Amino acid sequence: MVSKAVETPNAGFDFSNYARNEFFGQRLQGIPKATSTGTTIVGVIFGGGDSGEEPGVCLGADTRATGGPIVADKNCEKIHYLTPQIRCCGAGTAADTEFVTNLISSNLELHALSQGRPARVVTAMTMLKQYLFRYQGHVGAHLVLGGVDVTGPQLFTVHAHGSTDKLPYVTMGSGSLAAMAVFESSFKENMKREEAIALVSRAIRSGIFNDLGSGSNVDVAVITKNGTENLRNYEMPNERGLKSRNYKFRRGTTAWTKESIRSLIVSEEIKSTSGAGKDQGGVEVVPVPTGAGAGGEEGMEIDS
Amino acid sequence: MANINSVDISRLKNGEVNLGTSIMAVQFNGGVVIGADSRTTTGAYIANRVTDKLTHIHDRIYCCRSGSAADTQAVADVVHQHAQVYTSVYGAPPTVSTAAALFEKMCYDNKDQLSAGIIVAGWDKEAGGSVYNIPLGGGMFQQPWAIGGSGSTYVYGYCDATYREGWNEQETVEFVKNTLALAMSRDGSSGGCIRMCVITKDKVERHFIPGNELPRFWEGKEIIGSVGGNGQQIGVVA
Amino acid sequence: MALYHNQPMAHAQEPTAAPIEHRFNPYSDNGGSILAIAGTDFSVIAGDTRQSEGYNIQTRYARKVWQLTDKAVLATNGFAADGNNFVKRVKQRLEWYEHAHHKPMGLKSIARMIQTMLYGKRFFPYYVYNILGGIEEDGSGAVYSFDPVGSYEREACRAAGAAQSLIQPFLDNQIYFKNQQPEPGSQPFIPGNLPLATVLSLVVDSFTSATERHIEVGDGMEIYIVMARDRTTDDLLGEGKLQKGMEIEELGTLGEGQGERTFLVRQALKRD
Repeated sequence: MVSKAVETPNAGFDFSNYARNEFFGQRLQGIPKATSTGTTIVGVIFGGGDSGEEPGVCLGADTRATGGPIVADKNCEKIHYLTPQIRCCGAGTAADTEFVTNLISSNLELHALSQGRPARVVTAMTMLKQYLFRYQGHVGAHLVLGGVDVTGPQLFTVHAHGSTDKLPYVTMGSGSLAAMAVFESSFKENMKREEAIALVSRAIRSGIFNDLGSGSNVDVAVITKNGTENLRNYEMPNERGLKSRNYKFRRGTTAWTKESIRSLIVSEEIKSTSGAGKDQGGVEVVPVPTGAGAGGEEGMEIDS
Repeated sequence: MANINSVDISRLKNGEVNLGTSIMAVQFNGGVVIGADSRTTTGAYIANRVTDKLTHIHDRIYCCRSGSAADTQAVADVVHQHAQVYTSVYGAPPTVSTAAALFEKMCYDNKDQLSAGIIVAGWDKEAGGSVYNIPLGGGMFQQPWAIGGSGSTYVYGYCDATYREGWNEQETVEFVKNTLALAMSRDGSSGGCIRMCVITKDKVERHFIPGNELPRFWEGKEIIGSVGGNGQQIGVVA
Repeated sequence: MALYHNQPMAHAQEPTAAPIEHRFNPYSDNGGSILAIAGTDFSVIAGDTRQSEGYNIQTRYARKVWQLTDKAVLATNGFAADGNNFVKRVKQRLEWYEHAHHKPMGLKSIARMIQTMLYGKRFFPYYVYNILGGIEEDGSGAVYSFDPVGSYEREACRAAGAAQSLIQPFLDNQIYFKNQQPEPGSQPFIPGNLPLATVLSLVVDSFTSATERHIEVGDGMEIYIVMARDRTTDDLLGEGKLQKGMEIEELGTLGEGQGERTFLVRQALKRD
């Protein structure tokens, strides 16, 4: 039997440790858990028709990131930038949503430069679905993609396995059922901009309060052909009240075995490099004495 | 993992979006009628209740998709691209059999990785209307009518008993509509509304039947002879 | 082509190659957290009121803390169905005891009884972590904590449930003064004799902080305070002693009454 060395691919992910990690996962304490954005993300199309308003897309997201049952980040950003007129909300594995949106954003910029016109939302959608399909769901990004291009407002969902849907109102993430309940009961075509923002934030709030994976604040982004308005922390319905006690510790609370204070700056020279017409030949050297003043050995004083 | 005890029955990957579907295509003199339900599910959740599973491949060629949403979209996108290149190279549109052969190759070569059951249908000037069924393993079968997806198992008998050769367009549309409504009423992972498409030499015409206007059949004793919400007598087969 | 010649992972694959057995799992985890702190002549037993399963909230108000006698309060956490059923059976045994002996069962006897009841189901355990708080015969505040099969211990404080890993280190630091060096020349810290006001604010801060960082903790909190006979209540009922948003009620005596008093304080928690 002819044996062949394991080849390392020169691009993309490196799977060479996969088998080893599976083995460790079974023998030791399990595979490390990635931070997941147990999330509520939504989008709606508004305007046009009889509304008398510019057609556009309104996106929303909560701001909780979790690692298992622990809140990893109370105010993270889940509405990612793709292009000036295209945004993407991410649910699933935080690292994957962050990376995949950054990558596609970068490729869209290059695409716009080479084509000499702004990229369309379908282009972003196609790039995302082809990338995600290639990784067969192992890249755990569940996305709500929205934006405005020459063809008008566009809204899509992209699932981790690479399937896409095009709908006038969408939700994703662990809070998607709570949010969809709001949309299915209250969505109207050709809403006014303010109506759309109110509906989106109500849908997100429904996720925040009814889904344990979602929480904290409401982020909103509104995109029309006139531009994108980022309404970061549009609503903050979960601010923490005051703690009833003060937990400041007395100096010297922590025990120590050895004390050693030393100056980090041993010696310092300052060379002047400013002034184009100035004589650069003679360098003015200002010696700074060590062990003097703040940070020096004698002058060391903490919390003075 | 070729252990007989651990054969993975569920071909879908965990958490994957599924088209638990009822799809159909029927040939008639001068064209084809294709149809599908509109339900896309992830587990028990309906991810999309107005899905369009009738996918454009070329001017007079469409396909009906069942199985994994991601896989069937990817395959349809690739075949769509091939069909466009074909048109540029040969200066003429591909035949339905050519498009079907492309699907068959994709589905057969990648059978280990795909869960895609596809019906290709359309009109071309060589064969007129034609229907090709490409089930899970990547086989290709030309048929006068084809049904597919999880809902199809409920209506094979109905199709066998009902189908006749020589129907016109309108009769064929009614057959597709009734078959899909029956399949959707029995299959939990099919439902929503019915989308249909009539493809002939002269037109590609879409039909949309909303969920509250689906054909209704016998649904229980208490409603026999009663009057439906829209004032029509219900419980009557077309 | 094989990736490996000698199949180094062969033994690791054994469990997955075996037939998968599908069986009904009678247990579930309903989240939430409880804690109890003992004082010299009082005991505080608290729990949040959220009951959840997975990412869903089943109810925003489910009781986890129960008054058993005039001087005993039990907090249960884990699988709610088991918890409710366990409390029901404990109460039944306490009633039988009172009929047989014409007096309520003492705290340490309740603790021992709970041990035997839990161990009685050693091979189909109640999936419940219990904390028992109250007043001992000698009038001192006490806390007993249990594991699901009956191992127990008397302590000055204990946290259990979903946020145990968040709250217990905080309590170790604030109640047992762990990792805190006393001021040179001062008296050494003695755990278990903090004033009631301090204990209450530590309980409140434990739950508001756990709510911030644990998704299964929130909605509301119930704090039971059991006071020894003849103890003053000025530090609880006096003007401005309770924080804003707190509501207090005194629970009537259950038996003849030997002077112990039980109070219930409720406070809202964040609902996200």
